[in-house]
Amino acid sequence: MKTFWSFSKKYTFLIVVSILLMLLELVSEIFQPFMMSKIIDDGIVGHNLNDVVLWGALLIGSSIFMFAVGIVSSFYSSYVSQYIGYDVRKKLFETIQGFTFSVFSKFSEASLMTRMTNDVVQIQNMVFMGTRIALKAPLLVIGNLIMAFIINPYLALFLVVSLPFIFGFLSYALKKNFKLFKIVQQKLDQLNRSIQQSLIGIRLIRVFVRSNYENEKFEQDSHALKEKTISTLRLAELTTPVVMLIINLAILFVIFVGHRAIFISGNASIGEVVAIINYAMRISGALSMLSWIVMAVSRVAASIERVDEVLNATDQYEDVYSFDNKQINGDIRFEQVSFQYEGSQTQTLANISFHVKQGEMIALMGATGSGKTSILQLIPLLHKHNEGKILLDHALIDSYNLPTIRQAIGYVPQDILLFTGTIADNIRWGKKDATLEEVIEAAKMAQIHETIMTFPDAYDTLIGQKGVNLSGGQKQRMSIARALVRKPSILLLDDCTSALDVQTENALLAQIRALSCTVILVTQKMSSTLIADRIIILDEGSIIADGSHEQLLQESELYKRIYASQDYARRSGQWTVQLENVTP
Amino acid sequence: MDSTARKRYSLVRTCLQSLKKPFELEKPSELFANEDVYQNIEKAKGFGLGSKVNEAPRSSAKSPLQMKSVLIRLWHYLFFHRAKLITVVFLIIIAVCLSLLAPYIVKQIIDHQLAGQPGLVKMLIILGSIYVLQAIVAFTQNSWMIKIAQDTVYRLRNDLFSQFHRLPIRFFTKRQQGDLMSRATNDIDNISSTLNSTFIQITSSVLLLSGIIVIMLINSPLLTLLTFSVVPLMLLGMRWITSHTSKLFRIQQRNIGRLNGFVEETLSGQKVIKAFSQEQHVVSEFAKNNKSIRISGYWAQAISGFIPKLMNGLNAFSFALVVGAGALLYLWNESVSIGTIVLFAEYARQFTRPLNDLANQWNTLLSAIAGAERVFKIMDEPVENIDETGAADIGHINGDVRFEHVNFGYEQSQLTLSDISFNVKMGETIALVGPTGAGKTTIISLLSRFYEVSSGMIYIDERPINSITRESLRSQMGFVLQDPYLFAGTIMDNIRYGNIAANDDQVVEAAKQANAHNFIMRLKDGYQTELSVGGNGISQGQKQLIAIARALIANPKILVLDEATSSIDTVTEIKIQDALQTLMKGRTSFVIAHRLNTIQQADKIAVLAQGKLVQFGSHPQLMQEEGLYRSLVEGQIVFE
Repeated sequence: MKTFWSFSKKYTFLIVVSILLMLLELVSEIFQPFMMSKIIDDGIVGHNLNDVVLWGALLIGSSIFMFAVGIVSSFYSSYVSQYIGYDVRKKLFETIQGFTFSVFSKFSEASLMTRMTNDVVQIQNMVFMGTRIALKAPLLVIGNLIMAFIINPYLALFLVVSLPFIFGFLSYALKKNFKLFKIVQQKLDQLNRSIQQSLIGIRLIRVFVRSNYENEKFEQDSHALKEKTISTLRLAELTTPVVMLIINLAILFVIFVGHRAIFISGNASIGEVVAIINYAMRISGALSMLSWIVMAVSRVAASIERVDEVLNATDQYEDVYSFDNKQINGDIRFEQVSFQYEGSQTQTLANISFHVKQGEMIALMGATGSGKTSILQLIPLLHKHNEGKILLDHALIDSYNLPTIRQAIGYVPQDILLFTGTIADNIRWGKKDATLEEVIEAAKMAQIHETIMTFPDAYDTLIGQKGVNLSGGQKQRMSIARALVRKPSILLLDDCTSALDVQTENALLAQIRALSCTVILVTQKMSSTLIADRIIILDEGSIIADGSHEQLLQESELYKRIYASQDYARRSGQWTVQLENVTP
Repeated sequence: MDSTARKRYSLVRTCLQSLKKPFELEKPSELFANEDVYQNIEKAKGFGLGSKVNEAPRSSAKSPLQMKSVLIRLWHYLFFHRAKLITVVFLIIIAVCLSLLAPYIVKQIIDHQLAGQPGLVKMLIILGSIYVLQAIVAFTQNSWMIKIAQDTVYRLRNDLFSQFHRLPIRFFTKRQQGDLMSRATNDIDNISSTLNSTFIQITSSVLLLSGIIVIMLINSPLLTLLTFSVVPLMLLGMRWITSHTSKLFRIQQRNIGRLNGFVEETLSGQKVIKAFSQEQHVVSEFAKNNKSIRISGYWAQAISGFIPKLMNGLNAFSFALVVGAGALLYLWNESVSIGTIVLFAEYARQFTRPLNDLANQWNTLLSAIAGAERVFKIMDEPVENIDETGAADIGHINGDVRFEHVNFGYEQSQLTLSDISFNVKMGETIALVGPTGAGKTTIISLLSRFYEVSSGMIYIDERPINSITRESLRSQMGFVLQDPYLFAGTIMDNIRYGNIAANDDQVVEAAKQANAHNFIMRLKDGYQTELSVGGNGISQGQKQLIAIARALIANPKILVLDEATSSIDTVTEIKIQDALQTLMKGRTSFVIAHRLNTIQQADKIAVLAQGKLVQFGSHPQLMQEEGLYRSLVEGQIVFE
């Protein structure tokens, strides 16, 4: 809730304005019956045409005034609610961008999405309603109660007696509904997640003929959401009838007591009883509105808490927005670095020490799970090492601002992620202000330029999310071009040439070799390691060999074995050569 | 002027300036004008299984649906539960009667019992039971309506979801997942919250209003006419508002969908965003989307906020008209009694509530319609071709495949495949070889019937392929694709995906055959290890082993293998090769091959170039011939 107030603080003045406008409306609304009674009592009954005209004109005038005020207040309320919604979404998104990966794993993507759209829309609607009617209901209750007290405190007391019951019940309903609505939103998350999965895997589902299976699974989630929504809403809908019943029974009581007061104790006149009944009925009208509002509030409170959960998920944000002007040249040193993933039992990296000089090219080899990718990810601080020191240009990595480090790095991950947009846009992810020439230069280096030129719109060709309409090799080269366009000081290539044929790969590596940047290349292909200055072999998180090809051939048994086996594989295996390269 | 005064002055100034803000925003007309800019962005190229090659996938959905037809379709969904719906209407009638009856009884008590007549307790009991009944009826009608509404939404959601699975693959290549997700959640949620309350509100308001109108007509047709003289004005106002808000709500829902799409993409691409330090960029991109939601939401909300105000204003206006005119009539010739005027005044007051309710419901209804339109639009997309009449279940097959003079083009004018004929016998392996764009994937697409041949015919076990239902054909086929996509779930579930009916032992057996068992057992939770979406958490090679196990357990007769050239460590690589050998045994296998040893071991090799089958035969045969194949193989040797 606190967060919510902090969001609305910015608009305090406009909120006050729209509430004032609402009060203005309320006042003229209250005065309208008075004017009506004037027309009837003074004008018609009193045979006074002037009064009819006067009060009639006033009535029309006030209704036009109300209309105008209402329209204006509609603008203010809408403005406030949409701007608060905007701010909440913005804050959410910025917060999420600062999440470290370990915080990320606390929420599913689908859940973050529901929070950002569905929950924020709930909040937005509530603000709009809030500035327009929320205050009206309690004000009406209080106002009418005061009037009742003025007329006859004794009878009014009996009305007041019912209030603790009503508010007790309302606060119970508020709490209970709040919990239930939270579960409903969670079920919505779950549904969203299964839709997302199904969409990602749509091709596979098709070829395995699993549509029915998927539909059944979805129906289960959908059913769970339905059942929870029904039971929640039923409880919520119970609020109004119960509240109405309590206040109505109070009216009944007032009539009974009023009857006694008139005829036995003489505490009240008949007119007073009638007036009190009248006020009681108005209170009951206002209360039905109030109970509806309470329901809406409990729903929105659930949404607010879900937003809060994201905003307060952690106090360790990555500072992703501040740059300093330090230049990183590309000297990398690992000293006794150990690392393990959060929640994992085993050490992924243990006591890793190595040094890569500026402009050097290193190949990282090792079996699956030996920690190659982890080493790469420690350098742009995608993950933070637990022990030891990582030095960039002889300074501790922590002494740099995060964006400064990442600005200097071109990273090509193993799994390819492209974005909806044109090819040029996708390459420009590496450098937002890159000119088309720079983009083309990077594409040429990545050996993808010619392929791009065969597309109907060349660099303006739109590609779908995750690059769905590009082939595997094309995606990899796009991803490499994206890293190269940055002209990075450090280039990290994580096994990203797997779908390329040897010829293309060699041309690519030759281009990279010619760059002046430091390169760390994770690879399994002997052909790629031959081009590197040095080769580091990892096994289960430790370095077991480090040296040039010739050195390792002499010193490392394992390397010799790999070389022998790959020598065979090279002759028999990677044969895509010209197949890929003969352009259609 | 000292500093506090100056501060105060500037505060007042900012406040006053902020007063103007809501009126300085972009106008709705400008929003509408900019609409078309976004419409025609989709003309990407298509590659890969099931999507067109070198050609833009294109939407064939019709122009925006009319509001009325959307409403009718929504009504059809609702009407599915007509028995319950009629009961609810019945309950509403009772509720309306009770709500009119209670004040009447109170009036009776005031007029008689409080004036000294006996029978107070009896009347109080009657009133009390009315109140109790009222509460019961109110709860029952709401609770039934919620059930109806949620059942309806449930069906709508399931229909939308199953439609996703009927749409052709090319549909998905041009759409953001996040936007589709938004339709199934945000848009349908809009419909849901409307159905929950709107139906009851509208029905009871209409009932109440028509009851009041009848009483008014009986009492004084003239004054009734006067009261309703504002109706044309009301309709005019409503029409103006609706014409704006219906568009605005549509834009708003679309913008939310777009934002959802953007968020989904940035979340799944977070690693790249971080590594490239592009947070600032995505935040500013996000702000654009966020702003367009804000502006469209602002106008939609503001303008639809006019409705209750309009109603109140016109109601008061009509009241003044009635009373004024009534008073004149009374003073002029007493053709109208004071009682009638008072009665009308009272009714005019009673009018306010149902009119207001109706007006408020109108807003939610409009936004629900905007949501429903987006849902129905997907449902109206043309689905993947339906099976020919007379197509039959294929049953069990041997796996003979014959292509006979097959021509195919994604476009009429340009053939992607021309005159392809070849023959594969059961159990044989055929390697498809050729440069990118030669038509290897297209052959697979035709075989699995994501596309139809333009001319010529494909035969499976000598049966024309179009006499076989798609589902039964595909269920006889197994696929191991380049990107071995895995679902979030346990490894057990992922393997079982190939054959839902398989028990745990069969899964383990398949994993053993696929050489996956050992590595799975080394994981902490073994077969119960949870994988996240896309199978993150295990290596690329391990994913492939699981994909092979998944294909094995399906026990297909025809196997499609898109051989990845991924660089996996040698040990895993050998394991994968072994597993593939096991998998291919006894099955007709189509391999899009990149590895020479795979190709050498194939029974037949089809060399494709520019959509033509240029060579066909076994490795030794083809090595004898002059041609592309030999030069490819030799080119390789030269290169090394």
